[in-house]
Amino acid sequence: MPLLRMPPPHGGKLVDSVVKNKDRAEKLAAGCVRFELKPTTDAKGVPIRHVYREIMSVCYGFFSPLEGSMVREELERVLKERRLLSEWIFPYPILFDVSEEDYKALGVKEGDRLLLTLKGQPFATLDIEEIYKIDPIDVATRTFGTPEKNPEVVRQPFDDKHPGYVIYKFHQPVIFGGKYTIINEPKFKEPYDRFWFPPAKCREVIKNVKKWRTCIAHQTRNVPHVGHEMLMKCAAFTGDVEPCGGILVNAIIGAKRKGDYPDEAILEGHEAVNKYGYIKPERHIVTMTLWDMRYGNPIESLLHGIIRQNMGCTHHMFGRDHAAVGEYYDMYATQILWTKGIPSFGFEAPPNEVDYGLKILPQNMAEFWYCPKCGEVAYSETCGHSKEKQKFSGSFVRGIVSEGIFPPNVIFRPEVYKVIVKWWKVYGYPFVNNKYLKLKAQELEVDVPPLEIPKA
Amino acid sequence: MPHFIGVIIDEKRMEKIKGTPLEKEIKDMFGGALKMIAVPIPEEKSKEVLKAFDKARIDSRGYIEDVPVAFRRAVFEEMIKAKSLNIIDNVLARISEIQEAAKKEDEYIPPPEVE
Ligand SMILES: [Zn+2]
Repeated sequence: MPLLRMPPPHGGKLVDSVVKNKDRAEKLAAGCVRFELKPTTDAKGVPIRHVYREIMSVCYGFFSPLEGSMVREELERVLKERRLLSEWIFPYPILFDVSEEDYKALGVKEGDRLLLTLKGQPFATLDIEEIYKIDPIDVATRTFGTPEKNPEVVRQPFDDKHPGYVIYKFHQPVIFGGKYTIINEPKFKEPYDRFWFPPAKCREVIKNVKKWRTCIAHQTRNVPHVGHEMLMKCAAFTGDVEPCGGILVNAIIGAKRKGDYPDEAILEGHEAVNKYGYIKPERHIVTMTLWDMRYGNPIESLLHGIIRQNMGCTHHMFGRDHAAVGEYYDMYATQILWTKGIPSFGFEAPPNEVDYGLKILPQNMAEFWYCPKCGEVAYSETCGHSKEKQKFSGSFVRGIVSEGIFPPNVIFRPEVYKVIVKWWKVYGYPFVNNKYLKLKAQELEVDVPPLEIPKA
Repeated sequence: MPHFIGVIIDEKRMEKIKGTPLEKEIKDMFGGALKMIAVPIPEEKSKEVLKAFDKARIDSRGYIEDVPVAFRRAVFEEMIKAKSLNIIDNVLARISEIQEAAKKEDEYIPPPEVE
């Protein structure tokens, strides 16, 4: 077997739809109808998504080769076969949705260019190729699957307790399909600015700064406890003739479900792992992707594969209950997808063995627990003391944290725990709650610099 | 099979337990890095706990998790008062007071002092 190299971007070429020349930006947007972007909210008015995150991820190439909001035919293809019209696999509907009232008020038609403003400033344009209507509940249901249609992995019908289902359910019914272009680059605020490595830059850093030939991606929506740290360390022994050169942590930043940690704590918590040498920075980098997590287990794992291949990783770790919440999917759904495929979702074979598929290699991992007999954090498929095991259950760890107990070194590294407390003090709460979601939807991760657009 | 409420015993709580019959109930977790007392809860009572708190659930070890801090605190207080683990009725007697305190926990939990 030849030595592994950085795979090409998904679709062959990274999307770069960010206009940096001010004159060009002004020309592109001159005379366009303006529309101020706003968050998607749930039945109680709590923000659960902001389309600006999708526009950023598309235009900076995280979702390559996707270039914008999907037209109807593409949406249908994605829901049926998880493929774009260009054949490349893609898991989720990505849609620019507006309400009937906004549609009427805008008075735009197919062929028009819309100027999207964010925090009152020009941010991006959308070239409207097609205007059509969706039934959001139908899109939500088909996005995640049903026990009848997807019996391989769906165990119970999706409902209002599933945050990803709710995101699609509360999409507005009018869709503008078409290409996005960012015309005014937002500026990331602290601490996000340190973790912003769009795919082109990330590939550059991996190649020329870190000098990693191989690199394994770690998906996270969590502040890392020692179980996560061991997963990263052990999964990184995968590679070819030697372990992977580096570990790329990619945190999903956006509206999350209540009980997850605030984004700032997730990023700085992972950063503390390398800052204090638990995994030295020469072998570890913390990055982020803007995305309001859909918690779609196997479906989400496809998006993770796309993002991290675009960022330049050779491998991707997938755990049990990957990107999951509740018991909607089989706990091994992601691993089934990446070892056998899931025909009902369009995969007769794993996503890296089909045409127009992914090049990133899956590394399916089981579980890490603390074993008092081994006296260490042990791998579930290695340690023979399953009776004595002590699991890093998320709810158990949340219990310790919310009681304000300083966790022992085998659960959280002290420096990582201090990051949790730092952001706890800022928000008066250690976890995501409604107040945090509302504040986040207002403040966002970015500010948008002022830009004057000529009237015509 | 009974369920359990795991009460973590930190240094402050340890002082209140020393010399009482509760001391022998202390279990080591994570190689002794964490001390815990598992309070058994008969199944029909654990149903009442789940009913009282919508986020509460039983995890794979049979422990009731994702309960409010106020509930865990009440379990510890009753345990100290009675010097026994047979206290779930005393806790359930206070349930409306605990639910009231728990409501505030959705908005604010005081951060610990960590240097
Ligand atoms: Zn063992």
